[in-house]
Amino acid sequence: MLRNFSYAALFAVLTPAAFAEDFKWAVTTDPQTLDPHAVNSAPVLGFLNNVYEGLVRRGQDMAIEPALATSWEAIGAGEGWRFNLRQGVTFQNGAAFTAQDVLFSYERASSEAADTRSWFAPVSGVVVVDDYTVDIMTTSPNPIFPDSIANWMIMDSDWAQSNDAGRPDKEAGNHATLNTNGTGAFAITNREPGLRTVLEPHNNWWGDATHNITRAELTPIQNPATALAALLSGDVDFINPVPVQDVARLQNDPNVNVIQGIEARVIMLGFPHEAEALKYSSETTDANPFADARVRRAVAHAVNVPAILQTTMRGNAQAVNQLVSPAMRGYSDVLGGNAAFDQDAARALLAEAGYADGFSFGLKCPNNRYLNDEAVCQAITAMLAQVGMRATLDAMPVQNYWPELRADNYDMYLLGWSPGTFDAEHPVRFLAATPNEEKKLGSWNFGGYSNDRVDALLPMIQSEIDETKRQAMLDEVAQTLQDETAYVPLYVQPLVWGTRSNIELVQRPDNFFILRWVTVN
Amino acid sequence: MLAFIIRRVLQSILVLLIVGLTAFSMFRFVGDPIDNMLGQERTAADIERLREQLGLDQGFPVQYYKFLTEAAHGNFGVSYRQGRPVAEILLERAPATLELAAVSGILAIAFGIAFGVFTAIRRNGVLANVIMSASLIGVSLPTFLIGILLIYIFSVELGWLPSFGRGETVQIGNWSTGLLTASGLKALVLPSITLGLYQMTLIMRLVRSEMLEVLRQDYIRFARARGLRDRVINFRHALKNTMVPVITVIGLQVGAIIAFAIITETVFQWPGVGLLFINAVQFVDIPVMAAYLMLISVMFVGINLIVDILYFFIDPRLRVDRAGGH
Repeated sequence: MLRNFSYAALFAVLTPAAFAEDFKWAVTTDPQTLDPHAVNSAPVLGFLNNVYEGLVRRGQDMAIEPALATSWEAIGAGEGWRFNLRQGVTFQNGAAFTAQDVLFSYERASSEAADTRSWFAPVSGVVVVDDYTVDIMTTSPNPIFPDSIANWMIMDSDWAQSNDAGRPDKEAGNHATLNTNGTGAFAITNREPGLRTVLEPHNNWWGDATHNITRAELTPIQNPATALAALLSGDVDFINPVPVQDVARLQNDPNVNVIQGIEARVIMLGFPHEAEALKYSSETTDANPFADARVRRAVAHAVNVPAILQTTMRGNAQAVNQLVSPAMRGYSDVLGGNAAFDQDAARALLAEAGYADGFSFGLKCPNNRYLNDEAVCQAITAMLAQVGMRATLDAMPVQNYWPELRADNYDMYLLGWSPGTFDAEHPVRFLAATPNEEKKLGSWNFGGYSNDRVDALLPMIQSEIDETKRQAMLDEVAQTLQDETAYVPLYVQPLVWGTRSNIELVQRPDNFFILRWVTVN
Repeated sequence: MLAFIIRRVLQSILVLLIVGLTAFSMFRFVGDPIDNMLGQERTAADIERLREQLGLDQGFPVQYYKFLTEAAHGNFGVSYRQGRPVAEILLERAPATLELAAVSGILAIAFGIAFGVFTAIRRNGVLANVIMSASLIGVSLPTFLIGILLIYIFSVELGWLPSFGRGETVQIGNWSTGLLTASGLKALVLPSITLGLYQMTLIMRLVRSEMLEVLRQDYIRFARARGLRDRVINFRHALKNTMVPVITVIGLQVGAIIAFAIITETVFQWPGVGLLFINAVQFVDIPVMAAYLMLISVMFVGINLIVDILYFFIDPRLRVDRAGGH
């Protein structure tokens, strides 16, 4: 036995890296930092989920499962949550994981300098009960709190503090920007920002490793054609995303697999609810037709979503009738379908609202944010024109797009929303609640949609512990938003990943790539 | 001579200042970096705070002035995207671009001159005509298409060469080189051909036409009449006399190779300053864009200055003219 072991060790030392199970993958965006609290963006958090871990994590079906906490329960009548921590967990530098690290990570992630601060808005304090028990107190009952912290990653307090990285530093960077020390299944052994990031398995990881990777390398490749060529030539084993127009071609190649799914992101049309008049109309300069729910309803009838999905998205997306995808918690099953494609109904609604001859307006659209966003907007422009709504399309890069929306320079706009908490409450808070800077509500509700009932239901949804009651309220909100056509939800954006055919992996709807679910055959 | 250099240096500084001013006046059209820097859950207050912190709420002349004063102290600011000093990032990325530019420059010069001479001497030969026709591809196809085409043939179909990246690199002090490893050299082949192809065809066509011109001259005929060997006539007498305009063009093209590496670097995911710049544009990383543009204009201005000074030494007429002062 001992002899076998030493042979194995010797072999491991002598074998060049190339013979081991090397796994290389390419993404469009390099994680801009390795600090899990500095930037709240999908490329960063998705990648760091392989290195750091939270108290809870999401499984292959997005359900919350134990990670650094083995169990948790609500305290009293919803004063907070008690987390029982896993024992015997070590960080990648060998330090032991205790409740102090949780407290430190809370302080770090909720500090002024942290981008993840808003996750902890409902938290009033964190109490270390003993080395392996932590109480997180909330200002009001918070049923989805464990769900909302799946991306809150725990950092070793001694490591961070001894390296002067006690707080994230987004502007100037610090030790944690380029180095990591998590409890996750993989440790980063080499980091060259924008070039490559190398990971190797964390040998003392607490879980059972089901992957067979000995070394993994992430390379950002911005040009989609280059990424595709790299996959086809076998220079990389996995790329995300695959351009939808190349899917059919890849499916015919025996050396690669295409893995398709739907993402958490819902693409929708938004309206200027509060505007006095249209901004880009040649004739309707003193009225705002979109303030009338019938006109918004007419838009919903005029847009042929199935046709968009079939042509522009090449059959890779799925229509949706609300602001969240079916994979999200709190998705409303009782809601009726979307307004059907019906041009006569659209014309009738327009006539009823006093726009029998239609009107002209400006449609704003990003051209590098969502999959085929500009093409989708072009299709919508043509479809709306058929019922008399003559849109002038103005498509622009996303870095110019958000400032335009913030300045109210639109008559209609395209928006994609991916709920950070994977819960239906999230879009209500950001897109449907009346904008309120102080309460941090409606911060992406550009059009200023406002409904008293929705505003009243939101805090109740946020603090309702009972699942059934909570769902009933979410259903009511979804129904209200549909009745008033606050937004016109179009489809759920597809996820299209490409792998070499010898790779097995799991695609999660949040587009996170989890390295420990990879098998190289 | 000294007065000439001083005058040119002063002119160069003026050019740099104007380039910087133009760049800064353009940055607000590139978009707003704030949304990229803040997450989904930002509030209007966060946006205002960050804008103020970065000085984006000020007019571009103020931003430009701040950049200049900081740059004069050697501080190019911190990248919005990477949160690291820009100078550090540029130094880290420069070797990749310079190696690529050097290799493609050498390839372009060597093959350009060789093919140019060959097609001039064998003006009616089949091979010469094939080369001339093929060179049309080099001048007419856009770089990104050539790159994709080469990747498709040599990486995807044949599998001989890597499709992207720089391969393994060796760190020598601050310089990371791909010239010392097999994978690094292999990775250089396709990008350097892509980058150098246009320059190669340019040099080749220039050498050819100059050469044809020279071969018609009386002294070449006289040399032939004297019974000198062809090789001596072609290379010692003819080629030498074609080189003056060729060297001028090569000098100017060196800058172009480095600046136009942007496209090649994007296609091949070559980790140089060009790719850095493209990423910076997408992220509206103003400190990186500003530093890169200033760097490139310094380089162009510097090359032009050197070329001007070189004229002084190469072309005796210029010197006599100036010295004579008539």
